[in-house]
Formats: sequence, C-alpha cells, structure tokens
Amino acid sequence: MQASNNQLRRRAFLGRGLAAGAAAAVAPVVIPSSALGLDGAVPPSERIRVGGIGIGRRGEYDLGCFLQQPDVQFVAVCDVKANRRAAVKGIVDKHHGTADCHTYQDFHELLDQADIDAVLIATGPNWHGLMAMLAAKAGKDIYCEKPCTKNIAESLVLRDTMRRCGTVFQAGTQRRNLPHFAFACELARTGRLGAVKRIYAHPAGMRAMTSGWLPEDPAPDSAVADWDMYLGPAAWRPFHAKTLEDGFNFEKGGGLVGGGVLEWGSHCVDLCQWAVDDCPPPVDYAPPVNGEIVCRYANGTELVFREQGWIPLGSCPVRFEGETGWVEAGDSGKIVLSSPELMAGRKVAEIGGYPATFHVRDFLDCCRTRGKPKGNADAACNAHIACHATNIALFLGRPVKLDTETWRFIDDDQANRLRSEALREPWRL
Amino acid sequence: MRRERKLVGLAMAAVLLGGAAFARSQDVATTQSREQELLAVLRSETPESEKAITCKLLAIYGSPAAVGDLAALLGNERLASWARIALEPIPGPEADAALRNASESLAGRLLVGVINSIGVRGDAAAVGLLGKRLADTDPAVATAAAAALGKIGTPESAARLTRALATGTPDRDAVAEACVICAEGLLAAGLRTEAVALADAVRTAAVSEQRQAEGARFAVLARGGEGIPLLVELLRSPSKRLFNMALFTAREVGIPGRRDATLAEAVDLALVREVVAAKPTEVGAERAMLMIDVLADRNSDGAGKVVQLAMLDAAAAGAKPIRLAAIRALGWVGDAAVVPRLLTIAADPEPEFAVAAREAIGVLPGEAVDREIITRLKAANPTTLPTLVSLVGDRRIGVVADVVLLVDHGDAAVRLAAIEALGAIVDLPNLDVLVRKVAAPLDEAEGVAATAALKEAAVRMADRDACAEKITAAVAAAGAPKAVLLEILGDVGGARALAAVGAAAKSGDVELQDTATRLLGKWMTADAAPVLLDLATSDASGAFRGRALKGYVRIARQFVLPDGERAEMCRKALAAAGEPADRKAVIKILVRYPSAATLAVAKEAVALPGVESEATAAVAGIEATLTKPAG
Repeated sequence: MQASNNQLRRRAFLGRGLAAGAAAAVAPVVIPSSALGLDGAVPPSERIRVGGIGIGRRGEYDLGCFLQQPDVQFVAVCDVKANRRAAVKGIVDKHHGTADCHTYQDFHELLDQADIDAVLIATGPNWHGLMAMLAAKAGKDIYCEKPCTKNIAESLVLRDTMRRCGTVFQAGTQRRNLPHFAFACELARTGRLGAVKRIYAHPAGMRAMTSGWLPEDPAPDSAVADWDMYLGPAAWRPFHAKTLEDGFNFEKGGGLVGGGVLEWGSHCVDLCQWAVDDCPPPVDYAPPVNGEIVCRYANGTELVFREQGWIPLGSCPVRFEGETGWVEAGDSGKIVLSSPELMAGRKVAEIGGYPATFHVRDFLDCCRTRGKPKGNADAACNAHIACHATNIALFLGRPVKLDTETWRFIDDDQANRLRSEALREPWRL
Repeated sequence: MRRERKLVGLAMAAVLLGGAAFARSQDVATTQSREQELLAVLRSETPESEKAITCKLLAIYGSPAAVGDLAALLGNERLASWARIALEPIPGPEADAALRNASESLAGRLLVGVINSIGVRGDAAAVGLLGKRLADTDPAVATAAAAALGKIGTPESAARLTRALATGTPDRDAVAEACVICAEGLLAAGLRTEAVALADAVRTAAVSEQRQAEGARFAVLARGGEGIPLLVELLRSPSKRLFNMALFTAREVGIPGRRDATLAEAVDLALVREVVAAKPTEVGAERAMLMIDVLADRNSDGAGKVVQLAMLDAAAAGAKPIRLAAIRALGWVGDAAVVPRLLTIAADPEPEFAVAAREAIGVLPGEAVDREIITRLKAANPTTLPTLVSLVGDRRIGVVADVVLLVDHGDAAVRLAAIEALGAIVDLPNLDVLVRKVAAPLDEAEGVAATAALKEAAVRMADRDACAEKITAAVAAAGAPKAVLLEILGDVGGARALAAVGAAAKSGDVELQDTATRLLGKWMTADAAPVLLDLATSDASGAFRGRALKGYVRIARQFVLPDGERAEMCRKALAAAGEPADRKAVIKILVRYPSAATLAVAKEAVALPGVESEATAAVAGIEATLTKPAG
C-alpha cells in the first residue's frame, strides 16, 4: 500500500482529553490567555468570525455546535431563500444578544466580507465542493458538510485548491472526532489487529439517482428564492418547487452515478480510509454480488460494502478485520472487539449520537494553528473518490480498475468519462 | 437493466429510453448503435427535458460523430450546459474545434461556459484565442479566459498570463489565481525555473494578500531547499495571512522521515531559530507558540537533537504560552532523555505546567521511557510518588505488583493514583484488589475511582467468565454496591455475566431487577434471548415483563440470526405479547426478514387479536418478495 501523505502521527492520535470524553483536541487551544476575561469568555476581538451559507436542517445543527464554542462569533448568513436567511439570523442574533448578523442572498457578498475568518457550508451537496473552493480562494477556512464532491475530478480539484490556498478544511465527517471510532481506526492503523485484511462499510442503499428535469412550476421572485443561484453548477432546468426544498438530495453526486454509496459512504468509507492510514483509495471496484460490493486496495486489503450482517451498534457501522483480531463500531458509541485485551488499558469514552461538537472544535483549533484537522481535504478526497469509483462500477455494472497515480480508470473509456461533469455556465472549478 | 430504467425514470426521461436496451457495454458496435439512437433524439422534436438527459448519456456514448449535434446546442440557453456535459469528455480534436468555433460567435454566460470547457480539456491550440479574450470587455469572459490559460499550463499560456498580470487586465486577482495553477502545470512538466518565475511574479504583484500567499507557498515548495529563506521571510511577515501561509507551508515542506533529510533538518533549524528569536511581545509569543506547534507536527515521528534541545530550553523559561507549547511539544519530539526535565516540570506548583508535563510524558514513545519511570518509581518519595504512579497508568507500564502495594498507602493522593493506574494495568489475578475497593472504599472519592478503574480493567480481561466470576462473588457479599457491580458485569458480557445478571433480574429486589432488566435489554449478544423470554413470561410481579419482551424483540430484530431461529423467536414473542402494539412490532420483523419461515409465522399471526390487518399485509408482502424473480 502506498504510504499516506496525510496523517502525521500527532494529528492521528486520539488525544487524552478526547479519549476521556472532554472536548479537547490534539492541538492546543490557542486562545491567548490574555484575551480571556475573568469569566473565561472570549472577547469579540479574539473570536473566530464565522459566516454560514445554506443553513438548513443539518446546517442548523452544525450552527449550534459552532455557537457552543466560546471563541466563535457568527457574523453573517447567506441563503438563496429569504425565509431561511431570516430564520438563521434570528438564531444567531438571539445567541449573541445582538442584531448585527449580516444576511446575504448572494454568497459572493459574504465571501467579500473581509472580517470573516471561516465559513460553514451546509448547502445541498450540489454546491458543497464548488462553494468550498470559492471560499478558499477568498481566504476563508471551511467547515463543509458532506458529501463534499460530486465526482472524482472535483474531489481532486478540491484537495488541490485547499492546498494551494493554504486553507484549513474540515469535511463534515464528525465521526473522526469521536473516541470510539477513532480508537477502532487506531487499532487497525497501528497494527493491533495484525495485517488488515477486510474493512467493512455500511452503504445504507446503493441506488443511483439523478435529479433530472422536472415539470416547470411557477417560479417565485428571485428575492424570495433565487433559483438560478440554487441551480449553481448544475445543468439548467426549469423551476421546480419540491426540488428547491430538497437540497439534501438535489444533484447528490451529480452526473448519472449520483447517490449510490456516497451518502453514507462519505462517513463509513471515510472511517475505513482512516483505518488504512488514509492511503490512496482502492484500485479495484466491482458491482454487488449477493448484496455485497467488494473493492480492493493495491495491497489486497478489501473494502466491503454490505447492508446486512452488522452487530447492532447503531447507524454508520464499520468493521475492521486483521489477521489477529477485529473491531466493530457504530453510532451508539460502543465498540465490540474480537478480544477484550485489545483495550490494553485504554479508556475510550462512549459517546453516542455522533455529535459534531468535537469536530467543530478540532476545526476551530486548526484555524488558529493552521494544522490539519482530522477531516482534512486530503482525507476527504480519498474517501470520496472511493465512493465515486464504487458508484461508477455500480452504474456500469462491471468491474473497473482505478490507477491512483493518474486517477484514471485503466482501459475503460466509459468509466473515465464519468470521472467529471461540466459545470453550468458561468461556474468552473 | 431495471435499475437503469428506474434511474432514468427518476430523471423524468423514461420516454427517452422507452424500453430500449441501455447498453453499458464497451463494445464498439453497441456503443455506436447507442450513440445513433441518442442522436436521433437530439434531432427530433422531443421535449427539451428529454434532450437534456440524452446529452448526459452522450457523455458516455458520444464520439466525434456526435460533436456537431451537440455543438448546435451551445447557443441554447436552456440546453447549452447539458450539451457541454457531453462535449467535455468526448475525445479527439473534433470537440476541441467545435468549442473553439463556438467561442467565436457566442457572448456572455454561454461564451464563459464554452471557455471553461476549453480549459477543462486543456486545449493548447486555444491559447491564441484565449489570449485575445483576456482583453474582452466582459470581465466574466476575460477572467474565464485567464482561468482556462492557467489550466492549459504551457509556456505559451504562461507568457500571456504574465503579461496580463503586469498590465492588470483583466482582474489581477483572477489572473494571479490562474498563474499559480499554470505554474503547477509547468512544474509538473519539468519546467521548474519557469514555474518559480511565475509564482514569484504573483507573490510580488499588486494582488490581494491571499493571492500573494498562494504564490509564495508555491515559490517555497517549488524551490525546495532554496525556498527556505523565502519561508523565513514569510514567517517574519507582519501580515497575519502571509504568516499563516508560512505555518501551512512549513507543514508541507521537507517533513522529517520523508525523502530529503537535509531539507527537513534545514526547515526545522529555520523554525527553531525563529522561535528563539521571537520578540517578547504578545504577538511574538503567540507566533512562537504556533511555530512550536508546527515543529511538533513535523517531528511527531521523532526529532533530531536540535529540535529537542530547543524545546527543552523553551520549556524551561520564558513566556507562559511558549513554555506550555514547548512542554506539550516535547511529548512528540522527545525521547527518554527529556524525561528527567519533564518530571521536574510535572512537580511545578503551577498546575498548567504540571499537567502539560505529565501529558507529555504520557505520549513519549519508547520502552526506555518506561524503564526510566520504573527506576524512579522504586526510589520515589511521597511527593513524587503520585505523579510517577499516574504515569505508570498513563503509559500502561505493567508493574502491577508494585502498584498493588500502594492501594492502601497512607497518603490519599498515592492511594487514588494507584487505584486509577490499576484500571489501566491490573491483570486478572489481581483484579480482586479493585473489586475489594469497590465493595469497601475508604471514602467516596476512593469508591468513585475504584468503580471507574474496575470497569476499565474488567472490559479488557481476556477471560470474561473468570472476570465475571470475581465480580459476581462480590455482588453476593453483604453491603456490596450490587447495582454498580451489575453494571460492570453488563459491560463485561459473556455467559457468566449473563447468568449473574439474569439471576439478579429474578431476585425479587426491585432495584436490582430494574438494573438487571435494563442491562439485559441492551445485551450485545443473542444468548440473552432465552433469559429475556423467560422473564417476559414468568416474572412474578409482572413489573418487568414488558421491558423483557422488548429486549427479546430487539434481539430478533437487530441481530444476525438464521432464518428459522429468527422466525421461531418471533413466534414465541407473539405468544408472549399481551398488547397489540407489541405484536405489531413483531410482525414488522417478519416483513423485514422475508423467508419461508417468517411467512409461516405471519400466516399464524392473522388469527391473533388486534393485528389481523397487519399480519395479512405482512403475508402478502412476504409472499410478493419471495415470488419476485431474482436479478
């Protein structure tokens, strides 16, 4: 397997504070002590100023995680829908006890607000990748909900853009900052399970979907809902009211091969990738056999998508099998080990319900240190490519082989054509 | 095939494929045939919605033969974006030529789209026309041309971008962005000198600090060792953005242990010098702290002596934030040689220093560190003993016998440290020490610590049943905190623990029954099922029957079980269920796992009161699933 270029040992370490269940990350919290008031509050001048774009249901949860942090000042919100702009401004202003949270219909104006340090991108997946790149070019750090990209090419450009711009990027893969998942991945990554042979992800459905061109509905005024901006990079189609309200699914994965394993895979496969030290994604992909998709890494390790056969540990289960042991973990916060001895005296806090609080804290700390958060763009790129390539094999109904140096499929023109998709004018990556 | 039709149906384009074979073969004849079918749709009077999806399919099946029909759509505001989806991946010069031709006649957004596609295709033959478009009166067109030139990434495109950067037309920031991307292409092509020159032009241009920072980062990385002076310049920049980019870049360039050791050492040394030279101001201290963090990241797989010594010095004196950062960094860049100094700091009256030092020792790699701590433990005095014992636990050093001797120490701090450490290191033969402390603690603090330690230790014992046996024995003792011990048994799991918890559930002690049935309800193995069913059908008081039945149903619903076994569990659950709601929950399981066995149970359930309609629907659903052809 090719060496990881992503994880420094320190950054992959399950911090003591996190292991004990506190909100500490590996990097020090670098709020200058002189900036702390007597009550420990952080004055506005020392806070990280954050803007939110496309704050819907999931975004509101993320927003809550940001507002819990003492060193965050949320200063602006942007949405193509007027009612969402007003609603989120209400939440933010109420929290800060002010009335000065800016609202924007056009995200360019938010990105132009020079005093914003970071953005929370929680639009639908249609916009995630492109919006993140535009924010990076505007000099903002980024917490971006998943799935972050629509295809392989966008995954690579996203990674390269974050590097080029020196951006702190955190994908919304919050399970990387939960102790039981981190511990499970650490067992695999550090050889405690022996050589890793099989890693399992739960796809929660393998059905491809595309948003298509639905019958036209009467369009509202663009000040109420800006359809053109909502469409963004997606190919043109007429206004459709239900599509406007379903940003969660609109153009997910884009192209013809959207959906599939991407929705959950961007969590489960992401954890699997961490278990193999964030190495390049598998090279061999195949359509399902008996309900299982089996992909293979260059060293022969198998990545298996399966719907059934899980120990009941909650949603988003993963399982890592090595030559000498195995571990399984899920959203209940529990882990199950092949042998209790694998605990080896470690304390691993049981935090169920997959909160994003620790992930947000990790992001904010890295905004200050310029370190790499756990859900960084390199890691997200590899995990997303694994999902996209799996979806391509699913769509084509045949095995495909990916060259992880050139990022092209070997001897498969049709698969290569599905690596990318043109963006609607005027958008580009 | 069915899946593909469903896919297109979702796209509201069922008419488009209309039952025709949606071949996915790479066979040339099949692909050509498919292409012709799709082109016929484009040429027909079918609605635009269908032509749009046709374009998506031509992205897979289109050949140069499709280029003309697709190019004809580039001026159509509703279909142009769909047409480019197909055109962009079609190989060959025909698509390039079509895009270039279209760029001559289009304007506004549609022209921008075409130029974007030219950039994605990396059409070097378009450099001339793109160069002219740099001066387009539409800024969106001009910046699109710049971006496309950047992606093409040849010396010719670099020359045009360099001129545009100098003249400020179009928008300099957009040109600068393209220049850095172009520089990446030049470097990949082996043109390092040209790449560096382009990046230098960006970092010194009158562009935003963000663009300057991007140029500077590339200039540092592309120069290799010769880029270090520029890195230092950035580290000293008064601009926070440039300084931040320096921190980011310093995590990328010459990472120790990767390829170029000389470069790695030179970068480390440069960082160390900047830390040492940090100004005694708040900003200076903050910057030093951040640079120390970079050093810790860079060297977390082991550091050279220069970095270690610098961190030791910084940890010893100076501004508090710098000292704290250095102490923490020592955990990552240090080895056994830094243990004495860190132990001294661990005794510092300032708690932040002491805690940081202990945590740093906790993560230091190597058995030599363990040996150093063992040696000092044996010679420790009451003042140093608690810290050393804690470190034994933190590092999980297996000196169980030494620590067991300390659990009854006269000093409470030592006792607590020993109990906590045993949680991490105790073995099965010595587990009784912790069980005893849980059963009869000296005070509340000791009880809390012992409970946490026993739980931590118990769940990692290889012989679960032997472990459970020891804890079960304690449950039986008079005055023991039975509920607490039962909770730990629940965490341990295994046959012996299950038997003990099952017995507690039938004990007649309501508090104990409450704890035990709750634990059984979330038991992690299916062997709890008979215990739960027994409780659900025989609990004398009836108080916990419902909870037990729910636990039993949970196992039937969630666990991996043979079809027959699951069906039989459902049959028994239906018999035990007193409420229709419980029976309905069981019927849902039958539908979730359709098989001949569950079908039989569903048919029986039709006769049960209150669930006739659900059972009937379940029978129909299972039968439909079982009779559906495979594939």
